[in-house]
Amino acid sequence: MNTHNQLPSSHSSVESRFASGFLKALKKMNKNRPSSPSIRDTYRRYNFIRVSAYGLMASAVRPGRAWSHATLWKIRNRTFHRALMKRSRTHSLTRRVARGNPRNELGCEQVNDLRKLVPGGEEMKFCRLLNETAHYMKCLQAQVQIMRNIVDHYST
Amino acid sequence: MEKENLFLNCGSEQFQNFFCNPSWENSVEQNDPFESALSSMVSSPVAYATASGNNDGENIVIRELIGRLGSICNSGEISPSTNTSRYSTPLNSPPKVNLSMMDNQIRRNLQNSGNNFPSFAPFSTDPGFAERAARFSCYAKLGLNNDSELPHRLVPQLDSGNLSRVSSNQSFKFSGSPPMGVQENRNASLQEGISASYRRLGRFSRSSTPEKTEFGDSRENSSVSEQIPVGENGFKGQNNSNSRKRKSVPRGKAKEIPAKDVNVASENSESSAKRSKSYDESSIEKGNTIKADASESDKVTGDGNQKQPKENAKPPEPPKDYIHVRARRGQATDAHSLAERVRREKISERMKVLQELVPGCNKVTGKAVMLDEIINYVQSLQRQVEFLSMKLAIINPNMEFNVEALMSKDIFGSRGSFLHNLYTSDAYPSQSQPGQNLHNGIPNGTEMPFQNGRNQSIQMPTLDNASEPVSQASTFWEDDLHSLVQMGFGQNETQSFHAILPTASLTIFI
Repeated sequence: MNTHNQLPSSHSSVESRFASGFLKALKKMNKNRPSSPSIRDTYRRYNFIRVSAYGLMASAVRPGRAWSHATLWKIRNRTFHRALMKRSRTHSLTRRVARGNPRNELGCEQVNDLRKLVPGGEEMKFCRLLNETAHYMKCLQAQVQIMRNIVDHYST
Repeated sequence: MEKENLFLNCGSEQFQNFFCNPSWENSVEQNDPFESALSSMVSSPVAYATASGNNDGENIVIRELIGRLGSICNSGEISPSTNTSRYSTPLNSPPKVNLSMMDNQIRRNLQNSGNNFPSFAPFSTDPGFAERAARFSCYAKLGLNNDSELPHRLVPQLDSGNLSRVSSNQSFKFSGSPPMGVQENRNASLQEGISASYRRLGRFSRSSTPEKTEFGDSRENSSVSEQIPVGENGFKGQNNSNSRKRKSVPRGKAKEIPAKDVNVASENSESSAKRSKSYDESSIEKGNTIKADASESDKVTGDGNQKQPKENAKPPEPPKDYIHVRARRGQATDAHSLAERVRREKISERMKVLQELVPGCNKVTGKAVMLDEIINYVQSLQRQVEFLSMKLAIINPNMEFNVEALMSKDIFGSRGSFLHNLYTSDAYPSQSQPGQNLHNGIPNGTEMPFQNGRNQSIQMPTLDNASEPVSQASTFWEDDLHSLVQMGFGQNETQSFHAILPTASLTIFI
């Protein structure tokens, strides 16, 4: 799983894969679309971009992490959007309570929340969940960075 | 013999169950882990005693008590002094005050179960017991800085009539111990523990047959001699070199006596030695010996026997023949706790990694707070992705995406380390290969859901052939995406998109 097969192409890292794929997707999305400022289109594009962002990131992480498999699975099964919607609604629910939470002894509450956050984290042992969380966090950071760069590039 | 074997294993299991079972820790009465420990200890051997016969039961109980008391005391003493463990157990609490209660409890329990043990007659002519008593009396004289009453109680009792027998037995050990006693600081509680255990042992072993006493003798000698130096190590909190030196000796003894050895005496001594050292700063070897590989016994026996006479000055010996997980001082070494410790270390290691990832979490300590931070951070990252995608969606129509230009720029920012940490297997694998499979299926797969899925979320081209190998999953996705985009927003798709959108998109925004 950890074999680093260096391709002859320049796309040899997850980030570059993601970035290139993402840009291509954006490009193609725009190419065929009449630029209509309608909200619907914006929403649609937003969805598309978001889903593609997650999906591309998941696929860019090559021989699957559990979370990437889960993400792709969700997308395939058309539950991704529902999951995202649910997440946006429940963001407030999972917001962290005060640190002095008396239930923090074992951290089961947070562990459950973490499981919900990390895709595919529902049925993992805690140890593996931490691994997946670390990897997922790294990928999210990269994703955010790339997208921000793109936005900055095009907003200037 | 076999009974001994059986019981040794059972005893060790009991030990494990006892010390690993969190319920014991929770059910402590009077906040005294030792009371519950002792009550459990006493009650459980009784069951075994009744099962296996009185005489055997006595020995079993004796061994159990000695080992457990000694180990408890040792652990109680050792851990406060040199507690290097990250996770302290309840048994680490200093037992000083509790030992008197412990003693009472033992007495109570033993008296309650006294039916199984024929007599509590005055101290018999058990040579082993005599020696122990004498040794203890030496310790008692050698300056116990005790506040408790136990030693005072014990000393007169022990002194009576047993010192005469001391000389007859293995005087070298006896002579060996007082010097050690002089040098070391006696801790009252440990003394009490040992004395209490020996007292009980003495009462029980009285009625044992000469045969039993004989091996009891050797057993007790070895156990005592091992316990005492080990205990002393614990007391002083010696530096690791010294402790390892002493450690090697008991370890050698443990090695010499695997659980399945034919020699009964050695078995007993092994069990008691194991128990006595179980809370000492010892390795997992005991755990291994308990589960004992018979093959190792032969190798070990020779070494152990040679070491037996020399206890005081040992050269440090590297542990051999065992798979070692170094247990920290004052920690249990039975299988369950070891597995737990390994697991805990794994988890803490990963928490450290996560701590480095999350910015600004260097000062945070503790799993709970750390988990809070992690969750917050992941949530914030996800929200950022959504926000940026929204932004891109707005900006998008106006922009020309020049892929090459963008890529040439340092789009990756400052995440150098990220590049090498993730999998970098073939990025865009021969897209032709899976693509060929897809192109046949895609036109069917993508159009249908679009047309049918009014109520469904965004229709990514989903391939219904779920039997795809996982390795191709990601490629399929990429191909799906590309194909989706490539297929263009033909009339069908756009119409279906529009149809889909109202149901799906209105609730997106936070």
